[in-house]
Amino acid sequence: MSEVNTAVSHVHRVAQALGEPSSLLALREAAWRTFQELPQPYVEKTDLRKLTWETGTFSEQVGKVPAEVQTYIDRLQHSYALFVDGLPIDLRLTEEAKAAGVTYCTIHEAPEKAELLWKANFGTVVTGNENKWTALNQALFAGGVFLYAPKGTHIDAPFETIYVWTGGESGAYSRSLVVAAELADIQYAETVFAATTGAKVVNSHVLEIVALADSRVRVSTADAFHRGPTHFVTRRARVGKDAHVLWTVADTSDGLCVELVENELTGAGAKGLARVVGLGHGRAHVELTASMRHVGRHTESEIVMHGALRDKANTIFRSRTEIVKGAVGAGSEQHDRMIMIDGTARADAIPMLLIDENDVQRCGHAASVGKIDPTQVYYLMSRGIPKSIAVQMIIWGYLHDTVESLASDPMRDLVVERIERELSR
Amino acid sequence: MGKPDFRVQNLHVSVEGKEILKGLNLHIRGGEIHAIMGPNGTGKSTLASSLMGHPHYEVTAGEVVLDGEDVLAMSTDERARAGLFLAMQYPAEVPGVSNANFIRQALNARRGEGNELPVLQFHRKLQEKMKALNIDASFAERYLNEGFSGGEKKRNEILQMSMLEPRIAILDEIDSGLDIDALKIVANGVNQLRSDNIGFLIITHYQRLLNYIVPDHVHVMMQGRIVRSGDAKLAEELEAKGYDWLKKELGIEDETVEVEA
Ligand SMILES: Nc1ncnc2c1ncn2[C@@H]1O[C@H](COP(=O)(O)OP(=O)(O)O)[C@@H](O)[C@H]1O
Ligand SMILES: [Mg+2]
Repeated sequence: MSEVNTAVSHVHRVAQALGEPSSLLALREAAWRTFQELPQPYVEKTDLRKLTWETGTFSEQVGKVPAEVQTYIDRLQHSYALFVDGLPIDLRLTEEAKAAGVTYCTIHEAPEKAELLWKANFGTVVTGNENKWTALNQALFAGGVFLYAPKGTHIDAPFETIYVWTGGESGAYSRSLVVAAELADIQYAETVFAATTGAKVVNSHVLEIVALADSRVRVSTADAFHRGPTHFVTRRARVGKDAHVLWTVADTSDGLCVELVENELTGAGAKGLARVVGLGHGRAHVELTASMRHVGRHTESEIVMHGALRDKANTIFRSRTEIVKGAVGAGSEQHDRMIMIDGTARADAIPMLLIDENDVQRCGHAASVGKIDPTQVYYLMSRGIPKSIAVQMIIWGYLHDTVESLASDPMRDLVVERIERELSR
Repeated sequence: MGKPDFRVQNLHVSVEGKEILKGLNLHIRGGEIHAIMGPNGTGKSTLASSLMGHPHYEVTAGEVVLDGEDVLAMSTDERARAGLFLAMQYPAEVPGVSNANFIRQALNARRGEGNELPVLQFHRKLQEKMKALNIDASFAERYLNEGFSGGEKKRNEILQMSMLEPRIAILDEIDSGLDIDALKIVANGVNQLRSDNIGFLIITHYQRLLNYIVPDHVHVMMQGRIVRSGDAKLAEELEAKGYDWLKKELGIEDETVEVEA
C-alpha cells in the first residue's frame, strides 16, 4: 500500500512542479493505476523478467547544460526546445515560424495555450493503456513540446527537441505531441544526449504525431540511450488522408532499449517511410521495431533498416508491416540489413508481415545479416587504402544515405561524430 | 626513383589446396609493355590476383620483387602504395562511397601523410582525366561501380590507374565487354600513360586490344605457366592460326589448369 501512496505522491509532485491544470492530474492518476495493474509485459527478444519497474525520483533542481550540448545548441538556427532532466531550459521559435502562426510550447503549457487541440489529440496516438511503459509515461511525463502547424504551413527548417539526461536517476518521462494541420509541411526532430549512469530505473519516452489530411511531416531522431536504465521508446504517427510521414531514426545507443517507431496509415492514400540506421556497440541491447499499420485504402509504406554492430552488442531490427482487413490496394516494401563489423556481436533482422486483406498491391521484403563483404575490402585495399580505413569507408557508405536524410547539418554532424567515435576505436 | 623493375620468379600459387600457377617467370621494366595471352581457365586472373595479394590465393613458392622490395611480404594496400596497380576483371561495387571520395582516399594514401593533394587540385585533376577518358562529369559523385555497366567499370579502372600513376600496372581483361569505341578510349588512356616510369602487364585472351596497345613482349599462358614468349608478332600469329596451332606444336591437349584428383 505504501508503495502506491509514494507513487501517487510522485505523480502529484510532477504535476505540481509543472503547474498543470487539475484535469491533467486526473489523467496522470488514472494512468498510474493502469501502470500498476498491467502485468509484466512480454517482449520477444528482450528478457524483462529481471528488470526493475522502479521509477526515479523527479527533481526540480535544474541541472547544468553539459558543454557538449551547449556547443551543439550554439549551432542551431532553427526553432528548438531544450530540456535537461525533464525540466525546460530554453525554447526558441524562429521569426518564420511565428509569422506562420505556429504554436510551440512545452507540453505542460499546452492544455491552457491550445485547449481544444490538446483535448482532441493528446494520448490518442500513444494511449495510456496500451502497455505498461506507455501508462508509466502518461502518469509521470515531464519535459517535451507541443507543436501545432496550422493549415498550409510550409516550413523547411526543423523544430527540434533536445533531451538531456545528466545522469541522475531521472524520474522524468519525456513526451511530445506534434500536430500538422491539413496541407502543412514541416520537419520535427528529437535529439537525445544521455550520460551513462549506474541508476537502475525504468525510462519511457513517447512521441505522438498527428498528420492531418494532405500534410507532410518529416521526423528525424538522433538517439543515444546509454547504460543504466531500461529505455522504452514509443514513437508513433497517425497519418491522415493523403498525408505523408517520413522517419529518419539514427540510433547509437549502447544501453538496454526497446524501441518502436510506427506509422498508423489511417487515411486513404496515406504514405509512410521509415529509415533507420543503428550502430550497436559496447554491450548494447537494442530491440528496435519499425512498423507500418495499413488501415486506410491505397496506403503505401517503405521501411529501410541498416544496422552495423561491434563488440558485444546485440541488436534486433524488426520491420513490421500490417495490412488490416479493408485496407485494400496497400503497397509496402521492407529492407532490413545488418552487418557485423567485429567482436562477438549478435544481430537479428526480423521481417514481419501481418496481412488480413486479400487485395494487396505489392508487399516486398528482404532481410539479411552478414559480415562486411571481403571483396569490397580487398578492392579498396588494392588502391592503397589501409584495411581499417577501408572497413570504415564501407560501413559509412552503407549508413550514408540515411544519415544524409537527417533534418539539419548540426544533427548530421552529431550523428556522424557519434558513429565515427565508435568506428575508429 | 629510377625506372620500375618488377620480377616474378618461379611463382607457384594454389587456391583451396589446388595448384593453379606452376612456376611462372616474368621480368617487367619501366617503359615496357608485356602482354599475357591465353585461353580461358589457364590461370591469368590467378596471376593478377596473387600479385596483388588477394587473400584467397596462396603463394606456395617463388619470389616477387618490385624495385628491390619483397612484394610477397607486403599486404595488399602496401603493394598498392609501393606502386602496384591491378585493373580488375570484376571490380567490386561499393554503395554509399562516391567515386571521387574513393579515388581521393586512394591517391592520398599513395602520396603519404603530409603530402596529400589539396582538394581543389584533386578535383581539377580528376575532371581532366575523366574528360580524356570520355567519362561523364556525374561519374565522380556516383557510388563506386554501383549500377555501372561493364564498360563503365572498365573505364573507371583506367581512370583510377591514370590518377594513381602506378609503377607497375596490371590490366586483367580490360577489353572484355567493350565496344570498339570504348576499346579505343581505354587503349588511348593506357598509351597516354606510357613512359619510362611505368611498366604494363596486359592480360587478354583476344588479340584485338593489342592492335591499339602495341606490346613489346607477348607471353602465352597455358596450364599455369608461360609456354611461349615473343614480340608483337607472336600475337598476330596467334590471331591468324589460333591457340590450337600452339597447342599442337607444344603437344598440349588440355590447355586449362588440369586438376589432379
Ligand atoms: N577463387 C577461386 N576459387 C576456386 N578456383 C579458382 C579460383 N580462381 C581461379 N580458380 C581456378 O583456377 C583456374 C584458372 O582460373 P583463372 O585464373 O581465372 O583463369 P583465366 O583468368 O586465365 O581465365 C580455373 O580452373 C579456376 O577454376
Ligand atoms: Mg580471367
